[in-house]
Amino acid sequence: MRKTVVDALRWLVFALAVIVLNFPVIATLVTSLKSEAEIMTNASLIIETPTLANYAAVFAMADRFDILHFLTNSLVASLIGSALAIALAFPAAYAMARFDVGRSWLLPLAVNLRAVPLIIFAIPIYLMYQQVGLLDTRFGLALILCLVNVPLVLVLFASSIADLPLEIEEAGRVDGAGTLRLLAYVVAPMSLNVVAASSVLAFIYSWNEFLFGLMLTTNKATPVSVGASFFFAASGGGVRWGVAAAVMILATLPPLVLGLLMYRQIGRSMTAGAVKG
Amino acid sequence: MPRTSRFEGRLLIAPLTAFLIALLGFPLVLDLVYSISRVGFENIRAPELIGFSNYAKAIADPEFWAAAWFSLRFGLIVAVIQMVAGLALAVFLAPLFARRPWLIALLMLPMMVAPALVGLMYRLILHEFVGAVPYYLLEWYGDFPAFLGRDWAFTTLVTVETLQWTPFALLILHSSYAAISPDVREAAALDGARGRRLFLHIDLPLMLPALGLTFFIRFIDSFRVFDNLYTLVGPGAGGSTTSMSIYIYQAFFKVGDIGLAVAASMLLLAASFAVLWAINRLTARKAPL
Repeated sequence: MRKTVVDALRWLVFALAVIVLNFPVIATLVTSLKSEAEIMTNASLIIETPTLANYAAVFAMADRFDILHFLTNSLVASLIGSALAIALAFPAAYAMARFDVGRSWLLPLAVNLRAVPLIIFAIPIYLMYQQVGLLDTRFGLALILCLVNVPLVLVLFASSIADLPLEIEEAGRVDGAGTLRLLAYVVAPMSLNVVAASSVLAFIYSWNEFLFGLMLTTNKATPVSVGASFFFAASGGGVRWGVAAAVMILATLPPLVLGLLMYRQIGRSMTAGAVKG
Repeated sequence: MPRTSRFEGRLLIAPLTAFLIALLGFPLVLDLVYSISRVGFENIRAPELIGFSNYAKAIADPEFWAAAWFSLRFGLIVAVIQMVAGLALAVFLAPLFARRPWLIALLMLPMMVAPALVGLMYRLILHEFVGAVPYYLLEWYGDFPAFLGRDWAFTTLVTVETLQWTPFALLILHSSYAAISPDVREAAALDGARGRRLFLHIDLPLMLPALGLTFFIRFIDSFRVFDNLYTLVGPGAGGSTTSMSIYIYQAFFKVGDIGLAVAASMLLLAASFAVLWAINRLTARKAPL
């Protein structure tokens, strides 16, 4: 009897935690589904007449603020940034695990980089980008997203490759495979789950990055994390809250869906990244 | 290790090393040079060395210290609350997660949202006319505070940051709690430990490293807070919510004082290294246990 009561209490706490922690998204979603008139008269979480008008309005203002443009910028820069981080970190992690090269300085450097506020590098990077013409380009932004993700990806790869059985690689060596072939045909396939898990996390972190998007882009390469706030001023006078809410939901949906689908891999990567670092 | 494989190893880390030199090493050198120079956008390629006056200016600026104090206080308070809340949730909800692991996904969702967007969302939900929070507070208590005014801004920001990142503490502490071997608990139970005693004398000591780690990661992240602060209040609330990151950003973009901004950056870097050094010493001392 007492056990059922405690169990019910646990469920209650869980439900409350879900609502409170996710409240910003829930309330924004609710607002985005109300008509503009209803938003002004009904601030509660109950929608009287649900409508998709705000979403239509967002896409209708594409000539001034193009949500698809911002979403595409985020998508392209995040994909390049995550892929590049993996391409750079994977061979380096292998070298550290198997050849004992750079483990004493590269790994600590990368781990400590995560603890350093990135604003420290933001100003010189801005000035550098200005000189070489990378300001307001997707590729320029992608390079920074790669930098942001390298520490985590490197830590994850370094620990997972060290755990792989050495015998298979040795068999490959005996058969005459060089290091690059070994990496591509033996080590990479065995690391696929780590690659998948770390690329999802890297993609989400990239999508959500804000500081460098704000500093290094003005319009052409603006990611949606920065572009979303443009819609707050879209109507000149007061904020069109319905439009703003719809934009925020659209900008949040991709990482949110990824998070729901891949929560297990993400959780494992986050934990491993924290514990191994 | 044969000579050829060391060479191969160096080749394999070369791309990453080159990348880090270009995007980390070079900026750091620029930081150092500009911080001891008189520099503006007009002489960006030929800065004029002037010694340490930029540092002196930063150190003499009361706003610099206000920002440092804000970041430190914010980071410490937020990290403590998140650690305690995460621990409480992880332990109390552990039986639910053990039976249905996917439940934790719903509690991890806040971490998937961009902090910048969370800041924007709170602009909506705390809004006095259209926001749900003022609406319900008015309904239930008949009043609500000026969330982003001078008196409340700090509390509001602590709450916003805590609600978004307590899930991280929960995740780390949940996996640490779940990893405690049942044998240990059984042995303790045979010795008569139960309930609170079992938790205080068995679980908590075993989770101590995870608790320290959680505190450290949450502190670092909150100390450098920028995104949600910037989108929710900007420099508002009478400057009472300026973090170190915001201070540097404004010195550069709003005031255009490159020297001051990079000098402040270098001081922040020195402070980060001091914290990292202290933590490395702490963990190194604990290692033999």
